[in-house]
Amino acid sequence: MLRALLVLTAVWLTLAVSPGRQISQATAATPLHVQIDQLIEKAHPDFQKMAAPPASDAEFFRRVHLDLVGLIPTAAETRAFLADKAPTAEKRSQLIARLLDSPEHARRMQYVFDEMLVERRRDSTVADAEWREYLRQSFQQHKPWDQLAEEILGADGKELRPAAKFYLARNAELEVVTRDVGRIFLGVDLECAQCHDHPSIDDYYQRHYFGINAFLQRTYLFTDPKTKEKVLGEKAEGEASFTSVFTQESGETGPRLMDLEAIPDPDGTEKQYLLAPTKQQRGVPRYSRRAQLARAMASDQNRPFRRNMANRLWALMMGRGLVEPLDLHTADNPPSHPEVLELLTDALLEQDYDLDYLLRELALTKTYQRSSEYSGSSPPPAPETFAIGLLKPLSSEQLAWSALQATGLRQVMLEAKIASQEKQNVALIAAAKKQAALPAEEPPGPVYEEPPAPNAPPETAAPLPIDTADLRWQEEVLHEAFQGSVNQFVTLFSEQAGQTTTFQAAPSHALFFINGTLIRDWLQPQPGRLTERLAHIEPPAALTEELFLAVLGREPTADEATETVAYLATVDDQKAALQELAWALLSSAEFRFNH
Amino acid sequence: MRRDAGCPRLDHLLSRRSFMAATGAAAAGIGLAGALPAVATAALVGKQKRVLQIYLQGGLSQLESWDPKPGTRYGGPFRAIPTSTPGTHISELLPHTAQRMHLLSIVRSINIKTGDHGQGRLFMEMGRRAGAFPYLGSVASRYLTPASAELPGYIHISGRGLNDNTSAFLGARYSQLKLTGPEAPPNLESPAGVTAEAARRQEEFRQRISARFASRGGQPALTEAFESSYSMADKLMQRQSLFEQEPTAKEKERYGEHDFGVNCLLAKRLLENGATCVKVTHHGYDTHAENFNFHLEQLGEFDRTFSMLLDDIYDAGMLDSTLVMVMSEFGRTPKINQRYGRDHWGTAWSIALGGCGIQPGAVIGSTNEEGTAVADREVDAGHLFHTYLQALGIDSYSNHDLGGRTVPMGDPAKSPIKELLA
Repeated sequence: MLRALLVLTAVWLTLAVSPGRQISQATAATPLHVQIDQLIEKAHPDFQKMAAPPASDAEFFRRVHLDLVGLIPTAAETRAFLADKAPTAEKRSQLIARLLDSPEHARRMQYVFDEMLVERRRDSTVADAEWREYLRQSFQQHKPWDQLAEEILGADGKELRPAAKFYLARNAELEVVTRDVGRIFLGVDLECAQCHDHPSIDDYYQRHYFGINAFLQRTYLFTDPKTKEKVLGEKAEGEASFTSVFTQESGETGPRLMDLEAIPDPDGTEKQYLLAPTKQQRGVPRYSRRAQLARAMASDQNRPFRRNMANRLWALMMGRGLVEPLDLHTADNPPSHPEVLELLTDALLEQDYDLDYLLRELALTKTYQRSSEYSGSSPPPAPETFAIGLLKPLSSEQLAWSALQATGLRQVMLEAKIASQEKQNVALIAAAKKQAALPAEEPPGPVYEEPPAPNAPPETAAPLPIDTADLRWQEEVLHEAFQGSVNQFVTLFSEQAGQTTTFQAAPSHALFFINGTLIRDWLQPQPGRLTERLAHIEPPAALTEELFLAVLGREPTADEATETVAYLATVDDQKAALQELAWALLSSAEFRFNH
Repeated sequence: MRRDAGCPRLDHLLSRRSFMAATGAAAAGIGLAGALPAVATAALVGKQKRVLQIYLQGGLSQLESWDPKPGTRYGGPFRAIPTSTPGTHISELLPHTAQRMHLLSIVRSINIKTGDHGQGRLFMEMGRRAGAFPYLGSVASRYLTPASAELPGYIHISGRGLNDNTSAFLGARYSQLKLTGPEAPPNLESPAGVTAEAARRQEEFRQRISARFASRGGQPALTEAFESSYSMADKLMQRQSLFEQEPTAKEKERYGEHDFGVNCLLAKRLLENGATCVKVTHHGYDTHAENFNFHLEQLGEFDRTFSMLLDDIYDAGMLDSTLVMVMSEFGRTPKINQRYGRDHWGTAWSIALGGCGIQPGAVIGSTNEEGTAVADREVDAGHLFHTYLQALGIDSYSNHDLGGRTVPMGDPAKSPIKELLA
């Protein structure tokens, strides 16, 4: 059965190595992260010689926070981790488990998938807030990737409206949607195959493009004339045919995903509608090809779908894909470590598309936990060897939340929110007690109650006290409180529909840090904030340590400690000096990267 | 049959890809044997060359501008008028430009085989149909900007639009600085209360922390790009006064007070102050409806302002060293649609260019009688890209040298329009 599956699915991307499933069977007892390390290390004969040493606890602690929960840790958290005397492997794996379980992790995944699926398009047909909440809830519930993808690709904008964002943010434009389904869900950029077989990539054919296209070409954007709401309509007829602009050869294809078999329409569904398309109403066919796309995409037979996600998660954690660029999976552009990619691809299926499982295993690898510091005398190893930790520029959201964390704003806000909620709680409890003290109007006893009608408005019960120790509540209030600030970072630091992963550093970014009011404001010495906290720390060495731990997540080197103390000594205005120092660290290259 | 043209060839993609993620390994010096020599940057910077790029966004109609066909089926209502180049006629919508055609040349035979705004724009900017390649402005910024330059090498003035990734593998240092108008970019001014002394002091400390971090890692290209954003920011802050000059009454009168006018005036100032490539976008040529009225209006703005800018560059003695380009992402269909509009058309259209390295007064290629196809000397954006680079003195057949890895500057399958080069 497995064999048959393999033969069926691995056709279009034949790799020179033996498929991964054999490996995973042979070493079923070996944890995935160990298998990954073995494969990475054996890929180069002198790997041990060129590999960087393991990351220090501080380096690892900052890195894994940024990757799994999207922001740097506090100074206190770093201190506690450094002081923890438990064996390294044990405390690191406990940390990984705890971070994956935290509400911030669902938020981080929301950010990552929002950027991946919508690519920062500005769109209001589906409210950003609803779409993002849908994503976050999905990750909070550990929704498997096959299910999430099926919901997104099958969406019509009516039921489960937020899931239709992928289509609606692209105005359901056929060329755009066809290309992006290929790029984002399958890792193949078929753009050039739209007008002719790909001139340089041997295994991208025009029929591949039009195979995806055929799933979607009956779908159209429908604007309800009364409500102006935009939804997806679909026709029950129409075929995809194509003519090469070069050879004038033409062909036809039914809906199909790459080299999987075409999915014929069932007999008798032609022109059959549940809702016939008119000017007043959208079309809903008896048989929906778009729904078929969703099903076929998420099907276990569709290996490229899992391979694409395995590669994307690897890139997220390791700083570059095994296949790079992420949307150029082709035989001519093989993975740097084919066996690793196959292994991860298999693991996704075996673990029912559980993304957190893969993230955990990746975080546990020695490969992930290697230092980014390279001190060898020869040139550093090529990035695709994964022999040193790679620099990852912080995303807009990581940058914003890390700056909020470093300056102490996040902590101050959290404490303020808790205090205000506690105050409300006291009032609520008092009111509830008063209510309870009143004599009951009816004698207690078993009373039959009509179950509430399903559409009845919920009873406007008095709000209940909120447990302010609830981490999910804490994350949500913080997210709401700082949404405006985070958006400022996103607007400035993100590019729309960007397909490259190159690091962009523009002078406007630097000016934002140098002269912008936001960062300046965060560095004002107000109660609880970093610059105010530092002012109370004696002696200067302790102050320096707190400064470096809070902003850079590590202790200062001896030189840095000396320089900082000297800085403080030369400036008369100590308050100003502390702001300057904090600014300098916050605006440094070290802060800008996950390293 | 599958290998003739179009998309970037895989060897380019591969060298790009190995570089992109490799940025850090740049220092590794893993070279490709037999690579062509990289451009000799030093030889170019002595006599600084510049680019003025006017981008008529949305797709200028060639029939209402550089390639009029009055009296034909699709010609539209406007006449053709003689120009200062004997024998060359352009649309009557460009009377001022017509008097300056002896400084410019026209290419009338462009076929880019796409009618998509995004694809057309990228092709015209990168000289490649697809893939992530640097825009012309980023290439100019990389190879023409002297180290002592006091302004970012590539400045784009545009009222709207996206912040494109213009520099691709060249790195952020060469990407465009986007200005939305004549106002200074946001956050250019030091906040109150920060003395120059404090600003210098904290910046020094910042650089020290950054440098220490850069020295520890295997990816210098990333940290270098980061640091260059701070040095560019600093240069801009030094030149804040450029953005604070009120135009004189005469400047207002000559350039006009509309956005395009004030943006072109800023472009002139930036070029005079050492910017390498300045691009000004004039929005609003996507005339699917009312093509003729819109072109009348749009080109009214363009014609006079552009002519004034050209005069000023000429009078300052800068035209010999400034490549002037007037381009779009494509042209407009000969066929006039039911709404008196013209639609997207990449099949047979025109651009104008002149100045540095360009033979003035030339007309390259032609379209057929009704403008429905290229009749002679067909070129696409790949040929144009080679031509721009050659005009600027950059060998377009040479390679970007990315620390040992190489990417050809121009598409090796294409060539410059030789008869256009001075």
